[in-house]
Amino acid sequence: MTRRSRALVGALALAVPLALSAQATAANTLNSRLDPTTRVAVQAIVDSARRAKLPTAPLVDKALEGAAKHSDGPNIVAAVRQLAVELGQSKRVLGGGASTAELQAAATAMHAGVPSRDIAVLRSAAGPHRRVTLPLAVMTDLIGRNVPVATASQVVVGLARGGAHDSDLTMFERNVRLDIERGADPSAAAQTRARGVMLRGTQRPGTRPPGNQ
Amino acid sequence: MDGSSDAAIVARVVRGDVEAFGQLVARYRDRYFRYAMHMLGNREDAEEALQDAFTRAFRSLSRCDDPERFGAWLFRILVNRCRTSGARRSRRLRTFVSDETALMDASEEHPAEQRAWREEIDRALARLRPDQREAFVLKYVEDLGYDEMSAATGVGVSALKMRVMRACDRLREMLSEVHSV
Amino acid sequence: MSDDNLFDDGVIERIADELREAERPSADFDARVMASVRGIARARRRERHGLWNRVTQPRTITVRPWRAGLAAAALLLCATLVGWGAHAFARMEAAAPATLASSGSQRIQFVLVAPNAKKVAVAGDFNGWDAQHPAYQAVHRGGGVWSVTARVPVGHHRYSFVVDDSLWVADPTAPRVIDDDFGTTNSAIVVEPEIR
Repeated sequence: MTRRSRALVGALALAVPLALSAQATAANTLNSRLDPTTRVAVQAIVDSARRAKLPTAPLVDKALEGAAKHSDGPNIVAAVRQLAVELGQSKRVLGGGASTAELQAAATAMHAGVPSRDIAVLRSAAGPHRRVTLPLAVMTDLIGRNVPVATASQVVVGLARGGAHDSDLTMFERNVRLDIERGADPSAAAQTRARGVMLRGTQRPGTRPPGNQ
Repeated sequence: MDGSSDAAIVARVVRGDVEAFGQLVARYRDRYFRYAMHMLGNREDAEEALQDAFTRAFRSLSRCDDPERFGAWLFRILVNRCRTSGARRSRRLRTFVSDETALMDASEEHPAEQRAWREEIDRALARLRPDQREAFVLKYVEDLGYDEMSAATGVGVSALKMRVMRACDRLREMLSEVHSV
Repeated sequence: MSDDNLFDDGVIERIADELREAERPSADFDARVMASVRGIARARRRERHGLWNRVTQPRTITVRPWRAGLAAAALLLCATLVGWGAHAFARMEAAAPATLASSGSQRIQFVLVAPNAKKVAVAGDFNGWDAQHPAYQAVHRGGGVWSVTARVPVGHHRYSFVVDDSLWVADPTAPRVIDDDFGTTNSAIVVEPEIR
């Protein structure tokens, strides 16, 4: 590159707004971490996602994760494509008002095997003003600890319908994890601890009836 | 302009000074050829793997995150090339091992003991499992620390220690068999 | 560490001494590598030159009125793409978190018990999965306990510990994510905005 063209590039770079220069840094990172074929394929998927008004940052993150873990190009592309599909399904189920975090959490839950109808039931049970990010993350975690998908869905939906707060869900997840580590059957642990949450919930002063926020 | 650090040479090559890449080749060629020889057992395969590693490094030079550590980055590429080459050329290894009897006869007839000892070592090294050979050579010939070995191979430190231990046990076993005859 | 040389003894050292003898490739090795490298460089120059020529070669264009508008729009698009190539790619990124202003993130403590580790870092979608990111390197607090407190943006995130730059370890104290895409299990964290 000649000195003059470097200066021109420098001038153009200065004209880029700060937020975009941060994106340029991210672009350089992706450039430096993926081979050209993989990069082009990932870009095509991201472009499609943007046209479908889906969040694109999770797709880029997935590609960066694959590169960091030394996965091969086709595997990275397949993972990014699968995530794009799951984000699309999540948006259909949760609606246009869902946050990026909710869409990501729903996509992750679907990846773990939660049917989209269960996510729709959770959305409805939690009420219109409640974010479902944490309930979905807890559902995914239970499945990861060998609670059957149907039980995990049923338990979390029940907690959401019963008005359990995010703090209740966090404590619930922790207790189930500890019980399983101590040798409990995962399904039994999840159901038992959920009953405990609901019991505490009905005894808490000022508890709102289920479904209200 | 000081052109002697790896980072300075890499910067020049990335800016278009292709010939500067020759300095990096000269800098690393002997040491890394030795590694490739120990891993692959013959000169032709070792040169091919090393040339391939240099070419790949040139192609993706702009993606070298830390040009100051170009050598370690190039080495990782070479380690991978040797793994691929080793898998493809396993029939050459069998050819080498099948010459064992002839070599042993030869060493009895020509008592150049130092040469015979070296040949025994080469044979024993070739008979190690590839992952054990790799770990042994990195540790004892390339003098890498376990962290560096892990970075070069992508294998965890405790697995590498196990492989080195097994390689040492195996080498002692094979070489003491020879000397107890 | 003292067990670095656990397997050293006289025999191994003698073997290593032999194997450390210098080896040299053939005399024309450097020339062959440089020939190959020059070939790659030439091919790249031809590719760039060809593209430039296609863009800049003077051509006779018959312009019809209804095409003029299309041609102008196409030229503008080309100029935008050529001048802002990296920028167009950057827009696709739609940001790893571009800003970690305090209202959009929380300080989170990550703790891992790893008595045999020499290095522990946190890598996740909040730092581009970069295990070398300086803000996410854990410090050994003694007794095998490693910790780092770092900013994580509000939202749902996936992350993992990276031990000794090579082993990806899910956080034992965090919800799990079934991420079988790359053969490792990740952890999830949901960061809520600070309640004021």
